[in-house]
Amino acid sequence: MTSVSDTHAMGWSKDEPAKVRVPWRQRLQPANLLWLFLAGILAVLIIAPMWTLVVSSFTDAKTGGWTLQNYVEAYGKERHITALTNTLKMGACVVILKLMFGVPLAWACTRTDMPGRNFVRYSVFGAFIMPPYLAGVGWILLAGPNTGWINKIWHAVSGSTEPLVNIFSFGGLVLVTAIGGFFLVFVLVSSAFEMINSEMEDAANILGAGPFKTAMKVTFPLVMPAIIGAALLSFLGAIALYGVPALISIPARYPVVVIQLTEFFSFPLRIEVAAAYSIPLLLITAALLGLQKLILRRKGYVSVSGKGGERRIVKLGRWRWVLFAYCMIVVSLAVIMPLFVLLLAAFSESWTTGFSLSNLTLSNFHYVLFEHSSSQRALMGSIGLGIAAATVAITLALFIAYIVQRKLLPFSSVLAFLAVSPYVVPGIVLAIGFYAAYALPPIALYGTYMIMALAFITRFLPIAFTTSSAGVRSIHPEMEEAVRILGGGRTTALRHVVGPLLKRTLAGGWLLIFVPAAQELSTAIFLVGPTTRVVSVVLLDLSEEGELEKLAALGSVLLIIIVAVVALGMKYLGRDFMLRRS
Amino acid sequence: MKHAFKYLAGFVPALLLTAGIAGAAEMTAGEKQLYEAARKEGSVTWYVSQTTTEFADGMCGLFKKRYEGVGCNVVRASGQVIFQRLVQELQAKAVQGDLMSTNDDGQMAQLKEMGALAQFAPENLKDMVPELRALADKENYWITSGVSPLVIAYNTKLVTEAEAPKNWTDLTDPKWKGQVAIGHPSFSGSVGLWTIMMNDLYGWDFFTKIEKNKPQIGRSVADGHNLVVSGERKVALAPLPLILSDAAAKRAPVAVVYPTDGALLPPSATAIMKDAPHPNAARLFENFLLGPEIAEYFSKDYRYPLRAGVPLAPGMKPLDSYKTKSIQISDGIKKLPDVQSKFRDTFGI
Repeated sequence: MTSVSDTHAMGWSKDEPAKVRVPWRQRLQPANLLWLFLAGILAVLIIAPMWTLVVSSFTDAKTGGWTLQNYVEAYGKERHITALTNTLKMGACVVILKLMFGVPLAWACTRTDMPGRNFVRYSVFGAFIMPPYLAGVGWILLAGPNTGWINKIWHAVSGSTEPLVNIFSFGGLVLVTAIGGFFLVFVLVSSAFEMINSEMEDAANILGAGPFKTAMKVTFPLVMPAIIGAALLSFLGAIALYGVPALISIPARYPVVVIQLTEFFSFPLRIEVAAAYSIPLLLITAALLGLQKLILRRKGYVSVSGKGGERRIVKLGRWRWVLFAYCMIVVSLAVIMPLFVLLLAAFSESWTTGFSLSNLTLSNFHYVLFEHSSSQRALMGSIGLGIAAATVAITLALFIAYIVQRKLLPFSSVLAFLAVSPYVVPGIVLAIGFYAAYALPPIALYGTYMIMALAFITRFLPIAFTTSSAGVRSIHPEMEEAVRILGGGRTTALRHVVGPLLKRTLAGGWLLIFVPAAQELSTAIFLVGPTTRVVSVVLLDLSEEGELEKLAALGSVLLIIIVAVVALGMKYLGRDFMLRRS
Repeated sequence: MKHAFKYLAGFVPALLLTAGIAGAAEMTAGEKQLYEAARKEGSVTWYVSQTTTEFADGMCGLFKKRYEGVGCNVVRASGQVIFQRLVQELQAKAVQGDLMSTNDDGQMAQLKEMGALAQFAPENLKDMVPELRALADKENYWITSGVSPLVIAYNTKLVTEAEAPKNWTDLTDPKWKGQVAIGHPSFSGSVGLWTIMMNDLYGWDFFTKIEKNKPQIGRSVADGHNLVVSGERKVALAPLPLILSDAAAKRAPVAVVYPTDGALLPPSATAIMKDAPHPNAARLFENFLLGPEIAEYFSKDYRYPLRAGVPLAPGMKPLDSYKTKSIQISDGIKKLPDVQSKFRDTFGI
């Protein structure tokens, strides 16, 4: 998962037979048709929107001719550049904070005897389930400059009238963005930690290093590739997030790229300029990928082979409580505090009054469930899109992963490369590409669920592919060969052997897609139509009207549904599927 | 404009009102015809930035009650966002909204010029307050669907009446540092007009001064009102009906200042799209907006009713009893891009 480009390795070339003239009839075998079919799907999902994005950034909106004017318009203003540099600054700070949160927690939960490891794991998982914009609203309730609960307590205790903390600031923006995404760092780094065997650490211990020195000199360097990969993905997630900046950066007056993009999407609509403005995001991502490769190539990390060896946990002594305290601070900031105030606000007449019996009400829930014009449909839309995106993405990815791993078709690595490439496309940029390619006539998918489903499938295809690929790799081909010797075809082998063996892996991957897809905002924001709104967009509209209690209620309903689906999945999977390797 | 609103004073014979409501149950021939056609179309999709979601949902509810079998979908966002969405649909040749209601009639003028609007003169126009009717398009491309003055709201728990600002320039007083909220002219339609008005009155200086007070900038103008209700901010730019109805119905600690230099009076406008997917339902709905049910609903919620003879809510000041200002449509269209850009430069967002 850490190095996207590995799958690009041109392994197939060695297996290619010597060139023989093949009549075209033979070329049109079912297997080749399947390849064409899959390639066609990926072209629709990935190549066409991205190509349209690049082309339209060079297209004159009026004449349709070639122009650089869009770039001039996109970068001709100082504040447009400021938004870009602000975004990079914000992204860098978010990465640092996410690593500060995710890496120590991952280490503590996988390699130490810290108490409450399962509790911390579940809380981190909670941070995954809670969408970033809900955490953002929670933090507005906590740290609004005048009525945030933290500031109210501070005012009461200190007698000061100045706020202690202000969420509408650069720091607030970074904090809320970081807590929404450090789950990924935790998962990636955790799995790397779990693959290290203890022999090298033992060696360090024998040579006299204490537990912390060993961790710093041996353990952490060994998981560096995972950390760098996680940092890269964190950065991408941070710069492309829409909800948190919409809530915080406008009042904080800290313009970022996604907010600037909405300006190009306002009247007069300038999709071409928006496309031009988002190209640098793609270039930055590509540059970072290159940098990652460069760093990782210079050293060998072969010890993270996942092979053999015993893994022992580090005995921390009294330090275990220090680490525990740190973990508790992180999970309080990320989950417990925002979730608590959010739930309280959902049951309150007015969130500023604080907790009292007379302030308790169910009316917010009644409003969002039965009175609000679009929330019912939006709930169904979000859940439906989550299910559709997860199912289609996993199915598609399974086919591709199987073909790639078994090297069934020539050029299969091209499929693999395409399947993981959306990783590097920020969600909001992807949405603009989809809009430019499919919303307008002749295809005219504007306002349909279809365009959103396609975009969501694309956005989450890399997760699906990575999961399926790892699954298929773990199955030895001899079982399928047995099927074939007994006369069964490939499909029989897939249906009766590979499928059942991978059920759990695929279900885990399905959940990993369903959860973010049901909450997706960054991709949805430009693609929703009047009758295809999703919960995230309705929540954003409620925030715009300042209806925070109702927003909290609707957000809670969404959370409950997602938790129910995840709980069902976990029951089926029989273990906490993504937090620990079995 | 001043004497134009005399009739709103509320002393119109109650007789007229009762007659109006009694007539509500009966449908006219034209209405029946539209109703039958609308039923075949199934529903109407209403793009609205004129009111809050909750209020618009209430209007839709009344519509569905009167016209059983015709659905009503509200799509609510702030003014510029809804407008952008519609323009996007026009460009995609996939218009999904049947009609649109906004607080910025300049948007209507632009849509008319693009040939995007349908001409329609609802039956109920004849019962409309003549002065409000006159604010609409002369060729009936849009109707006036409301007037909600933009005024100053203050939190009564945190600010006494004496301390409260008296006019717009008082908002630049350093004592409101960190305590003011305004909207963003690039998101909200009425804030766009307000920005033009303030620039016309005091020059851009007003905004550089208020910037020093670090106002909280929301997207919708409703946001500022809610910030004052919650006490997060002490004073804000807010629409009058929201303040009055929250103060009365929810006992929220909020009160109105009618700025002595003039409240902004943006006439809200509603128009039917030329390519509306449900043209008859749209007409039925537009006519309904001017009907007695909505007039009463408006009045109850501290809005100025559109029909002649409907009394104002208790405690509501007639429109001609305080100073108001409007922006000419052509002026608004001409000046908006400039103030939006200046606003972004001054406030950095």
